[in-house]
Amino acid sequence: MRNIKTDAELKFLEERVLHYADQFNRTLPEMRFFILDPMEFASLLIKRVYPVAPVNIWEGKEMVNTRHRIETGQESSLYYEVVQTGRPSYAYLNETNNAMTQASVMAHVVGHCEFSELNVMHDSNDDRTEWIIYLTRKIEMSRNQMGHKNYKTFWNACESVKALIAPNSQYNLENSVDTDNNISESERLEPEEKSILDSIPFDSTVQDIFKNTQEAKDKLLRIEQLRHARSETLSRVGYKLKAPCQDILGFLKEHSSLSQGEKYILDYMYAVNSTQDFVVRTQIMNEGWAMYWEKKIMTELFKEKACKGIIEYSKVAAGVMYPRPYFQRNPYHLGYYMWEHIEQLYKDGKVSLDYFEETSQKKKENWNKPSKVEPLDAMGHLVRTCTDYEFLRRFLTTELVDEFHLNRIDKRQAEQLGLKAEDVIREDRRYVWIDPRPIKNEMLNFYTHLYRPRIYLIDVDYMDGGLLLFHRDDGRALRKDWIRPTLKNINLIWKGSVSLLTKDTLYTYSAGSFNELRAAAPKFEVIVERIQNGEKPFRAK
Amino acid sequence: MKLPFNIPEPTGLFQEDKINSNESEGAFNEFIDDKLKDIVEDIINDGDLTSFGDRESDIVIEMDDISPPSFTYGDNGGGGGGKGGEGPGEGAERIRFSLPFDRLMELISERLRLPNLVKEGQGKIKEVSYEFKTFGTAGVILDKKRTFKRALKSSIGTGTFNPDEDEYDILVRRRDRRYKLPERVEKPKYKAVVFYMGDISYSTYGERLELEKRIVGFIHSWLNYNYGAANVEHRFFVHDSEAHEVLEEDFFKVQNAGGTRASIVFDLVSRVAFNEYDAESTNFYGFYFGDGELFSTDAEDIGEILEKNMLPIFNRVGIVEVKPSSISNLVEKLKDKFAGDNTIRMDRVENKKEIIRAIKTLFGEKQHA
Repeated sequence: MRNIKTDAELKFLEERVLHYADQFNRTLPEMRFFILDPMEFASLLIKRVYPVAPVNIWEGKEMVNTRHRIETGQESSLYYEVVQTGRPSYAYLNETNNAMTQASVMAHVVGHCEFSELNVMHDSNDDRTEWIIYLTRKIEMSRNQMGHKNYKTFWNACESVKALIAPNSQYNLENSVDTDNNISESERLEPEEKSILDSIPFDSTVQDIFKNTQEAKDKLLRIEQLRHARSETLSRVGYKLKAPCQDILGFLKEHSSLSQGEKYILDYMYAVNSTQDFVVRTQIMNEGWAMYWEKKIMTELFKEKACKGIIEYSKVAAGVMYPRPYFQRNPYHLGYYMWEHIEQLYKDGKVSLDYFEETSQKKKENWNKPSKVEPLDAMGHLVRTCTDYEFLRRFLTTELVDEFHLNRIDKRQAEQLGLKAEDVIREDRRYVWIDPRPIKNEMLNFYTHLYRPRIYLIDVDYMDGGLLLFHRDDGRALRKDWIRPTLKNINLIWKGSVSLLTKDTLYTYSAGSFNELRAAAPKFEVIVERIQNGEKPFRAK
Repeated sequence: MKLPFNIPEPTGLFQEDKINSNESEGAFNEFIDDKLKDIVEDIINDGDLTSFGDRESDIVIEMDDISPPSFTYGDNGGGGGGKGGEGPGEGAERIRFSLPFDRLMELISERLRLPNLVKEGQGKIKEVSYEFKTFGTAGVILDKKRTFKRALKSSIGTGTFNPDEDEYDILVRRRDRRYKLPERVEKPKYKAVVFYMGDISYSTYGERLELEKRIVGFIHSWLNYNYGAANVEHRFFVHDSEAHEVLEEDFFKVQNAGGTRASIVFDLVSRVAFNEYDAESTNFYGFYFGDGELFSTDAEDIGEILEKNMLPIFNRVGIVEVKPSSISNLVEKLKDKFAGDNTIRMDRVENKKEIIRAIKTLFGEKQHA
């Protein structure tokens, strides 16, 4: 691993890339570039784009596999862009790439760094990589204190919960858990309804008649009871659920009884995995934005002859942006062409009330009334305010689905998928096309579940201090033989009983024993209501 | 306003450290080693040593892939799979990796606590090889890298290579040249001969044949592991009322319904050892397999051959009664005579569960009462 300053050619290209980023008025954090050899690159990727990671067998397994694949030629050791965004951002270049490719990587990284810096999900934070390095050192020190066996056991247990993380969910830690720290916020249980009596001059008789009704008294009593129960729980354990919590790893990190070493491990797990949510929810916009600026900057570099190989670059870019069917969505392709399309919409003034209200199809087709807003400014506004869901909802149309070949499937693949002849709307020698209309909704549905089961923490005092998890039913069953080991692992972290309610079964792992119980799971909405009313969300009969 | 000094470049991790996963790879390999031990344990407990694949070749181990258990979709029915706790869950995928023959034998010897065989003949026969270790100013094979390094140093010293002044000449002088020099390496070479002796007078088929094959298979692999396959000669002898040598592939095939005399095969093997090999430089091993049903003074004769002819020159002689009957008497008659002897080992094998015990008897540390 060496600093880019050790390579004069790359240093020059870095300066030119940053020069054009500045010329295009990009908002960038400090970016640091480093050069890695192929095996370092593979290791970095396995460490989730951090230069260090605590010892664990999963990294070892992946590295053994990757090394074998690279050595036997099954996998190319070439990777294009790898960046850990944040302030500062760390970007890594593969030393086997040629200078033109390195320039394109740097230009691409410009797009990613700006996107992270500006996007509504606020992915960019200070010293992210440094924080991971710090935690890794602390964990390495704790490993000796914990003992290697305990360390290994605890680490493996944490691997089971790393997917149970939802920092940006509606039911994230902040919105779901009351603690000593945010008690003042939670005191506002229900907004007081504005009464007409508040707007008339005070009169004790009128107040008595209208305010001291039995209904009003009951309401006051209920609020007081809830407030009392809440403050009692908070003073006893320090936290209380006010809604189901989807950020289970976050909850365990904050509220489990942990040794210092265990805390470091959970902090590390959370820090490394929490950015994944941002990546998944903004991948199309993010990669598209990066490709957009890569192309702009590379065009300038080719113009000024800072680097050579425009034909090779075009070939590589065409490969990267090759269209794939919607279920294998290629974010580089879809994102880039979406941004181009949006830029054109703004140039033509098609993102305007006038355009939407125009009833003549002919006029709409020939619409060209450029708005006063600069297209690039408007696109920047989208970056600041949208994630992929909103991006696709607003701008992906049925025509674009067809134009971007999101409904095009390779014939062999179509056969494997069991596609019926009546589903095919057209075909050629190599591909078949399916109806583009349902595809947009299908793509949007992805963001409600991200192809993962939705698990919530619904009770933190189930069976005397145990956790009760709830699988929000979406018609699919959980993998049964993994429920027990997963609960066992959570039990190891929580150090108390852990139960899971899924479909019609309650699984419990407690004190080394595991049992299943038939139980009718209430609906998620019922659970939410019960928690808000201070009731137990579920009781086994 | 300018600072009176330059802020130094960041040093440490991002300057020169190498990113790697060595420690994690080591941890994974340790995990696999534990898994292998479990696999070896299973095989050994089952007594099926032939499942180790072809002799002396790497064997392919296949096991469930590992991944951390988590709440995922996919109901694949009941039944345990994932282990949980410290144990990673096991997915439906399988992972395959090859295990070198030597590593396998190492694991077996660790598990069975078998000591390495004592090799004799050290210093008598030597294997000579050449390794290119040293570097000199004269020779045949030029070490280009070292030569270039020296030439570069000289050229910088003499000023012919000076990029600052656009001088890029690297002159290779005679004294810059470095050659690889061969170094004679002598390693003691061990040689071993293994004589397998089989009784074909009884019907060797079914379970009896299986048991014999498994023990012979292990001995074959164990000696090859200890001496190196190229240094071990395996010879096969059978007997009924006469003794003769057969090919390895015929050892388990030959059958004869005639009478039996086992001492003649011991006599033949001891004569072959004495006449065909240099007893000073060869390690002899002999293993006899039979039902142990001997008549007249056969067992006493064998005892005498063992004592007089074989004991002085053999490293180990093993006698195994395979599925003995009520009239089997070979081990019974000889055990007192060689009770305290480390070279002569005897055991009886009734079923495959007893194979491991027999191997421990043949190759383990002698337990003295």
